[in-house]
Amino acid sequence: MDLTLFGLTDIVLSLKATSLANFFAMLISFSFVMVLFLAPKYVLTKSFYALLTLLTASLFLIVYSNDYLLFFIGWEVMSITTYFLLSFTLSKEALHKYIIFAMASALSLFIAILMLYSTNHSFLYADAHESFMLLTDVNSILFVVLMLFAIFIKLGTIGFHYWLVDAYEESQNLFTPFLSAVVSKMGVYALIIFVVNITQPAYVLAVMGVLTSIIATFKAIQEDNAKRLLAYSSIAQLGYIVTVLGVADGLGGALYHSLIHTAVKLLLFINVAGIIYVTGRSKFSELGGLIYRMPQSFVLLLIGIIALAGMPPLGGFASKFMIYTSLLDAKYLLILSAVMFSSASAFIYVYKLIYGIYLGHPSNKKLESVKEVPLSFLLPQYIVAIVLVVIGTFPALVVPYFNKILEELNLTAIPFTDTATLMTPYAQYNGFVVIGAFGATFVLVLLLFVSLRSKAKEAKDRFDIAYCGEEPNEGTHLHYGFGMGKELKRVGFISVILKNSSSYFYDFLAKQISALSQMTRKIYSGKLSLNFNIAIVFLIILLWWSLK
Amino acid sequence: MIVIDLFLMLLVAYAVGFLYYGLYRNITARFQRRFGPPVWQSFIDSVKFFFKEESTSHGWMFYLGPIIMMSGAIMTLFFIPFFSSGDSFSGLSAYGNLFLVLYLLVLGPLGNALGVGTAGNPFGVMGVTRGLTRLFAMELPFYIAVIAIMSLSGSADIATIASGQTTFNAFAYPLLFIGALFSFIGMMGQAPFDVVGAPVEVYSGPASEFSGKFLALLMSQSAIFTFAKLVLMVHLFLGGASGFLELLLKTFVLFILVISFGSLYGRFKTPQSVDFLLKVPTTIAVVGLILATWS
Repeated sequence: MDLTLFGLTDIVLSLKATSLANFFAMLISFSFVMVLFLAPKYVLTKSFYALLTLLTASLFLIVYSNDYLLFFIGWEVMSITTYFLLSFTLSKEALHKYIIFAMASALSLFIAILMLYSTNHSFLYADAHESFMLLTDVNSILFVVLMLFAIFIKLGTIGFHYWLVDAYEESQNLFTPFLSAVVSKMGVYALIIFVVNITQPAYVLAVMGVLTSIIATFKAIQEDNAKRLLAYSSIAQLGYIVTVLGVADGLGGALYHSLIHTAVKLLLFINVAGIIYVTGRSKFSELGGLIYRMPQSFVLLLIGIIALAGMPPLGGFASKFMIYTSLLDAKYLLILSAVMFSSASAFIYVYKLIYGIYLGHPSNKKLESVKEVPLSFLLPQYIVAIVLVVIGTFPALVVPYFNKILEELNLTAIPFTDTATLMTPYAQYNGFVVIGAFGATFVLVLLLFVSLRSKAKEAKDRFDIAYCGEEPNEGTHLHYGFGMGKELKRVGFISVILKNSSSYFYDFLAKQISALSQMTRKIYSGKLSLNFNIAIVFLIILLWWSLK
Repeated sequence: MIVIDLFLMLLVAYAVGFLYYGLYRNITARFQRRFGPPVWQSFIDSVKFFFKEESTSHGWMFYLGPIIMMSGAIMTLFFIPFFSSGDSFSGLSAYGNLFLVLYLLVLGPLGNALGVGTAGNPFGVMGVTRGLTRLFAMELPFYIAVIAIMSLSGSADIATIASGQTTFNAFAYPLLFIGALFSFIGMMGQAPFDVVGAPVEVYSGPASEFSGKFLALLMSQSAIFTFAKLVLMVHLFLGGASGFLELLLKTFVLFILVISFGSLYGRFKTPQSVDFLLKVPTTIAVVGLILATWS
C-alpha cells in the first residue's frame, strides 16, 4: 500500500506484508496472547490495557512498514507507550534512565533517516542501499554509527544496556515477558532490515555481539534477583543474534534464535511472575525449596532453562547449532569459540535460577505453606513448553518458512530434506533420533534402576542430610547456595569484566553535563538585562556575518 | 540391528571403562609406593552397591538426578563412533555431529546437579558450583582446539575428522593438542583441575548425598563416560582407529598420559584453576588456532 504524504509527491509512505514482517508479526501476536492469559490475576487500570494495545499496534506498524519514515513513527510510538507502561511501577530514577536512552535512540535514528533521505529523496527500503552509496565516506560512517547506536540501545547491547536491567526488574510482572520477548525483538528486526537493505558492518556486529554475550552472562551469574538475572540473560541471548548477523549467511540462525528466545523468555518471565504472585519475593536469597510445593512450575522452568542453555533435546539446541555452523562456515573461528564459551558459562546462571527458587531449602517458614500457581500462569507456560519440545523434536519444521523469507531477500536457503533433520553446510543432526534415543535410554535406565531389589528409603524430613556428622535444625542456615558465582570475583580475568564500567562511564558523563550546564548558567544567569545584552550582541554578530 | 550394535557398544564401554578404572587405581598406587586393589575391585564394588540396602532418597527429582547422568553418559557414547570407518560400532553418530557431542558431554553433570540441589545438602551445591565454574573455563581451550580441527577438516562429523588425518592432528597441530590436553585432564577429573572430593566416595564433588544404588549408578556412568571421552579425543587428535586393538592401544596411551599428570600434581583451588585455564591453555590454543588456520 502506498500513500503520498500531504500532497508531497516525493514522500511516499508504504506498507508491505513481506514474509519477514509476517514472521515477526507472528511472534508479536503469540506473545500478546500469552501475556493476556495473566491478565485476570492482576488488578490493572483501563489505561494500562489501552497502552498495551497501542504498543502492540506500534509494533505491527514497525514490522509492516516498507519505508524508514513509517518505521520511525512506529519506533517513536513504541518508545513512548513503553514509557507510560513502565511509569506505572518504575522508580523515578529507572524511568529517567529509560526515557533518556529511548529518546537518544529515537533521535539518532531520525538523524540517520534524514541523512538517507537527503541524498535520494526517498524513505523506501528498496532505495535505501542506493541512497547509502550516494553518501560521502565520512557521512556513511556517521550514518552507520547513528543507526547502530539507535538499534543497540533497543537491544541493550553492552555499553547501551544501562536502562534495560532496571526497567525489566521494576516493570509490571505481566509486562516483563512482553518487553523481553517482543519489544527487544524490534531491535533485532531493525538490525535485520539494516543488514539486508543497507550494509553489513560484519566485524563490528560480530565483536559487539560476542562482548555483549560474555559480559552479560557474567553479570547474570552475579545477580541475586530472578528478574534481573533474566534481564541480563536476555541481553546475552540478543548478543548471539547480533553476532550471527555479522556473518553473510547468518540470517537463518538469527531468525531461529529470535523464535526460540521469544518462546523461552515468555516461559521464564511468566514462571518468575508466578513465583512473585504466590510468594511476593523475587530474590534467590529469600526463596528456595519450592520444588515439591510447585512441581508443575518446577518442570516448566526446567524445560525453559534447558532450552535457554541450548541443551540438546529441546529447541534451544537447534538455534544454537544454526548460529555455530554459520559462524564456522564463515571462518569466524575465534568469535565462535567466544560464543561457545559464553554459552557454557550460561550453565551457571541457569542452574542458579532453578536452584535459588526451587531447590535447596526454604529460606523462610512462610515458604513451606505456599501452593501451586493459578492456572492462568500455568496455561501459557504449558503452551510455550509444548512449542519448545516440538521444535526440539522436529528442528527443521520451521525451515521452510525461513527459506521463504530468505528467498524473498535473495539469500541462500537452508537445505531441507525432512522435518526431523536440521541441515547446515557443515553438519546436520536429527532431532527426532536425539530425543527418541534419550527418552528410550532414560526410560530403560529408570526401569532397571527401580526394579532393583534394594529400595531407597525416603528421607525423614528435609534435615535428614549428610552434614559433616552434625545434625542441622531450624536455626541452621542451609539455603546458601543462592550465592553461587560470587567466587568468580576472585578470578582476575573475570573481575575486570564485572566492574561496573558502563555505569562509571554514564556517571562521568552526567557529571560533565551538569558542570557544563553550570558554566552556561554563569553566562545565561536569568537576569533580564543580561539576556537583552546577549541578544543584542548575538544579533550584531548575525547581521555582520550575513552581510559579509 | 542398530539396537544390538548399541548394546554391544555399551557393553564394551562398560567393561573397558571399569578395566581402565581398576588400572588407574593400581597405577596411582604405584606412584604413591603402595599396591593398589585388584583390577576388577571397582567393578565388584559397583555391582555390590546396586544391592545395598539403606540408601536415602529425597523425592523424585533426587531419584532422577543420577538417572539423567547415566542417560547423558550413554547418549554421549552412542553419538561417538568407535571406528573411523564402517557401520559397525558407529552407533547413532550418523544422526549427530561434534557440536551435539560437545553439548551431550555436559548434559549428564547438569542433570545430576539438579538431583544434588534437591537433596538440600549445602555441601553438594558447593561442589556443583565449583564443578560448573571450572567447567566453563575448562571448555574454552577445548572448544578453540575443536573448532580449529573442524574448520581444517571441513566437517563437523567425527568419523570424517578421524579418517581425514594423514599425520595425526596431535603432531600436525601440536599447540592445539596441548591446549586441548589441559582441558582434557580436567574433563577426566584429574589433578590439577579436579574438583574437591575423593575420587570414589564423593562423586565429582557434589554427590555427598548419594549412597547405595545411587552411588553404583554414578560409578557405572563414570566408567562409560571415561571411555567415551577417550574415544572422542583419539578421533580428534590421534587419527581414530580401524580395529579394537588400535582403539584400545590409543585410548590406553592417552589414559596413562592423563593419569600420570593427575598423580604428579596437586590440586588448584577453583578460582586458581579458572584463572590458569583462561590464561595459559587458552593462549596456547589461540596461538595454535592462528598458526593452523593462517593462510
